[in-house]
Amino acid sequence: MPFLNVKLGPLELNTPLLTASGTFGFGEEYASLMQLEGLGGLVTKTLTLLPRAGNPPPRLVETPAGLLNAIGLQNPGLEHFLAAELPRLRQWNLPLIVSIAGDTPEEYVQMAEALCREKGIAALELNLSCPNVKKGGVLFSADAALLETLVSRVRLAWEGPLIAKLSPNVTSIVEAARAAAAGGAEIISAINTLRGMVIDVAARRPLLGNLSGGLSGPAIRPVAIKMVYDIYAATGLPVIGMGGIMHTADALQFILAGAAAVAVGTANFVEPHTIPQIAAGLHQYLEEAGLDNLQELVGAAHL
Amino acid sequence: MKQCQARVLDLVEVKGGFFSLTLYEPYLAATARPGQFIHLRVGSGVAPLLRRPFSVAGADPAKGTLHLLFRCVGEGTKLLSRSREGELLDCLGPLGNCFISSGAEPAVLLAGGGGIAPLIFLAESLRAAGRELYLFYGAAKSADLLPLEQFLSPGPVVKYATEDGSAGEAGLLTAVFQRALAAGLFPGELFACGPRPFLAALAQQNQRRGYPLQVSLEERMACAVGACQGCAVLIRRNGREDYLRVCREGPVFQSTEVVW
Repeated sequence: MPFLNVKLGPLELNTPLLTASGTFGFGEEYASLMQLEGLGGLVTKTLTLLPRAGNPPPRLVETPAGLLNAIGLQNPGLEHFLAAELPRLRQWNLPLIVSIAGDTPEEYVQMAEALCREKGIAALELNLSCPNVKKGGVLFSADAALLETLVSRVRLAWEGPLIAKLSPNVTSIVEAARAAAAGGAEIISAINTLRGMVIDVAARRPLLGNLSGGLSGPAIRPVAIKMVYDIYAATGLPVIGMGGIMHTADALQFILAGAAAVAVGTANFVEPHTIPQIAAGLHQYLEEAGLDNLQELVGAAHL
Repeated sequence: MKQCQARVLDLVEVKGGFFSLTLYEPYLAATARPGQFIHLRVGSGVAPLLRRPFSVAGADPAKGTLHLLFRCVGEGTKLLSRSREGELLDCLGPLGNCFISSGAEPAVLLAGGGGIAPLIFLAESLRAAGRELYLFYGAAKSADLLPLEQFLSPGPVVKYATEDGSAGEAGLLTAVFQRALAAGLFPGELFACGPRPFLAALAQQNQRRGYPLQVSLEERMACAVGACQGCAVLIRRNGREDYLRVCREGPVFQSTEVVW
């Protein structure tokens, strides 16, 4: 049986298949539908320091091969997470990756410090697709200097593996990846959702309560593959690739483009067993290709 | 709640664009309660991408069958209307909470348009419990109404209403209901499902009399199991307003706790 285990810098996973943040809650909702142990790791819904109510509805709409959403980071806040969710998450025997976001660098740092004191967290993922309230709302991913400073400050507060999840809504995601690495992130997650809008023609207004949202699903896959390909080529950093993965072949595209691991998001809503199905598919692919280890395929599409 | 493969037993077009679908799935048939829904995978590709939620319109635990009623309105329902007998449909369910009857009589059910499906299930279940029952069912025009005698056992008093007067009483369903109240109808409790403006109007009109009113809400859904927080509605509970999930805390809410 070939091996699916991977090493992303300091983070080791038995299976290179994670849940994309925000698509699996804190695991509880899917625990009754499937064996969570089949996941390579669980990436939590993004946490903020204080609870967030989220955006007014409608919060989502289906688009051609895609899903446009504007949930607004609704979450119960760090304190509730530490008291109520983390103890339950620890009971499942799987790597836990906590996703955090903030309005300011200080909020990221404060959360990283609190989480660093807790046991059972395999890695921290920085959701860098949020606007920096202190800098006129510019995305943390969009300003390389700001991004490097933010990551370096979190780096001092957090001792474990650090993942920078980048927004594709930037001029150069490669530059953002370089800045995150310079700040001390060992792993890059790419990509977050692409900004989009749907107009309700009958109402002559944007359909979403938040007006615009983030696009996910198969519609964005080629965009995501290209960004993963570019980041890998330019930096060689370990990448967690995501964007519209529904089937084994999609995961393989990301791996060949340079992703050492992948995350499944929107597909969880369609088929909760997508991750175990892809794990089985990857095993079969490696066997048929006569390969011992998935790592041999990472970045193999590069000439 | 489970992921199941439900077998299509029967699919008929009741009238132009309305379909009645009977599925065989003993677990769902035994566990589904009025007000709950299932999340159905329609097709296997990316059009449509997401599952589609359908209210359960009836369940027969003895036969292991589940009944759905739907109208062809988009890609998902169009594909579903082409299902073949014997085909397996992947579904998650039963999902959400359910209507809870206090037993106060008579129970009055109010359905606006597509909101009829869960109320047929509720009507059947209340009737089986021997309860006195009224059902008000309204739509824009006659062509939008289902012939309820095909789905309801005899017993409940049924009042139809259409905005254009092409069937039943002419006028909005809320107005027809108000006239019935004025004429002496004295409900023990109210259950309603339908478009949000209809439910909001009903809730507002009901404020003065204050009959207990449970409403089943709809919102666009992705996961339907509570993970994505997509189907949020603003609900006031214990003095604070929060976005709750139609798929988990709902779809049934007390009308007085919904922030309309």
